[in-house]
Amino acid sequence: MPDAGNTDAGNTAVADTPAGIVDRLVGFGHALREHGLPIGSDDLLTFCAATAELSPGDPSDVYWSGRTTLVHRRDHLPVYDEVFRAYFLHIATAPDDPATERPVPQGSTGTLNVPDSEPGDEQGDDQPLVLGLQASSVEIERHKRFAACTTEELVQLRRIMARIRLEPPKRRTRRQTHARSGARIDIRRMARDTMRLNDSAPELHRIDRKQRPRPLVLILDVSGSMADHSRNLLQFAYSMRRAAQKIEVFCFGTRLTRITASLDRRDPDDAMSLAAARVLDWDGGTRIGASLDHFVRAWGRRGLSRGATVVICSDGLDRGDPRLLADSMEKLSRLSYRIIWINPLIGNDAPPDALGMPNTLGMIAAAPYIDELASGHDLASLERFAAQLPTGKG
Amino acid sequence: MSDATPVDSPASVPELQQRLRSRGYLAGRGLATAAFLGMRLGRPILLEGEVGVGKTELAKCLAAIHRRELIRLQCYEGIDTHQALYEWDYARQILHVQALSKLELADADAVGGLYSKDFLLERPLLRAIRRGGNAVLLIDEIDRADDEFEAFLLELLSDFQITIPEIGLVAATDRPIVVLTSNRTRELHDALKRRCLYHWIGYPSLDEELEIVQLQSPGVAEKLVEQIVAAVHRLRDMDLAKPPGVAETLDWVDALRVLGSANLNGETAADTLGSVIKDRDDLELVHAELDRLVADA
Repeated sequence: MPDAGNTDAGNTAVADTPAGIVDRLVGFGHALREHGLPIGSDDLLTFCAATAELSPGDPSDVYWSGRTTLVHRRDHLPVYDEVFRAYFLHIATAPDDPATERPVPQGSTGTLNVPDSEPGDEQGDDQPLVLGLQASSVEIERHKRFAACTTEELVQLRRIMARIRLEPPKRRTRRQTHARSGARIDIRRMARDTMRLNDSAPELHRIDRKQRPRPLVLILDVSGSMADHSRNLLQFAYSMRRAAQKIEVFCFGTRLTRITASLDRRDPDDAMSLAAARVLDWDGGTRIGASLDHFVRAWGRRGLSRGATVVICSDGLDRGDPRLLADSMEKLSRLSYRIIWINPLIGNDAPPDALGMPNTLGMIAAAPYIDELASGHDLASLERFAAQLPTGKG
Repeated sequence: MSDATPVDSPASVPELQQRLRSRGYLAGRGLATAAFLGMRLGRPILLEGEVGVGKTELAKCLAAIHRRELIRLQCYEGIDTHQALYEWDYARQILHVQALSKLELADADAVGGLYSKDFLLERPLLRAIRRGGNAVLLIDEIDRADDEFEAFLLELLSDFQITIPEIGLVAATDRPIVVLTSNRTRELHDALKRRCLYHWIGYPSLDEELEIVQLQSPGVAEKLVEQIVAAVHRLRDMDLAKPPGVAETLDWVDALRVLGSANLNGETAADTLGSVIKDRDDLELVHAELDRLVADA
């Protein structure tokens, strides 16, 4: 905490009269709000009530009561400390202090710009719009490599991808539902029947454990060589996010970013630009090993990928140490249900039977831990990949 | 413990700190303030923090110092209201019906009696509502439960009452002290967080941890404790997948106490490392740097 226990600064204390105190406290709440902390009026009420239970003249009490009532996330603590210092202790912090970076929304500087309008709108009158044209062109583009598509075509493809509905693999849960040939007898239901039917012997009802979709974790490479593919996959991720409940999306180039929350928007364009803005290293270099290692440490260990299908999309061109990549892949394979690696380079010119033949050092290092290798170089292959998800091992 | 009359809650934060301390729990000003306010304002306390820093222990100590019953609900994936709230004892109901019909006693009253409290299996949340101010409710590892369960808890924690269709409304007269813990395997819903007082428990400082160990394991030589705590702090600075928590420090002290070692050196550390480091990769890393770890020993 800041030096709040230091009462010798005369102006630290909150004002003397009750009304003055409340004004100071509410003012503090507003200051926090200006710095990007989400503080509702109910939070302020709780804050005031909490401070009243303690001694409002003691900055230390004010500090802790505010910290427990106004801060709901660990990431907000540095901002809270900074604002507290400035507001009550009048100590300004150097604005370029990286430790007190503010969580204000960053400007949308992403390079992913999806036009609002459909591509057809830009065509002049001399090109009359024919109904059905879109559908037929889709058919052609189904096997056109993403790399060879024009921007307009890509936009169109993204819209098609948005409509792909996915059904991720399922796992059994603890919850039970009635089933024709379940493992256990449904005592509860039979008891109900017994009571209703009086003495007559009840029918045997059975129950079995319910199935639910396995979580999916997408880890997308957005480095230079993969940027185009990943933009498409981001759209793909969005469709998946809409289709299934438990999906986590990460992007990496030189470092890993979690973008799951940005894909929650209803409007795909909105979600895409928000996600793109959060990824800071589009078109940078690739450090697959370090990024996966970070994933394992920060998320995998805590159980995020437990029982999940992990989908990694990358060409395997790693600039880091292949040993680190192999290490983290090994850990990841222990922490997850299965790993699917999408490598768009495979589909480029290699024959279909070359699938599974690693071609880069990174792929060779990662290969032993990959349960399934897929190519994602065109829409058809992505659809194939989507189709095979439900028919996994489990 | 449950039949004893609850003790009045402390009048100030330092008093609470003092009482927790008498139970061997060293709470910082922030944690004590959060707990104090939680009791005074009737709000649940949400504790997040690294593994093994005493989140669950706080609830136990709060129950002990107030002489209240500790009711623990361990969350897991797929937990539902039958496991958390209540369930009808169907097997007993059947037996009862059969007994009644044999004796030809099955009148309206007897049937009504089938849904009395005698046949209700109380689960932790219902018990906490019924015990009210005589209980401390610990909802452990809430991040493991599903979102829908979180939504259900939200409702329960705001009113502390539930309706059982066959019986009617069950409401708490006084609110129990509620402690929620989370290991942050997933982000909790904002609505639930807003209802709670939030406190992040980090690792204790060197001095604090020394004091904790001395409180928890009195009688262990001071020099040994100092060596162990210093080594644990060095371990936390290393790039480990699972850094040791305070619980591991205490385990380590215990292990060395049982073995009768008076000193932490390379040999005794290697023998007992399994009580602090619980990961194979970490073990390898630490073994390589064992000498640095016990450098001052």
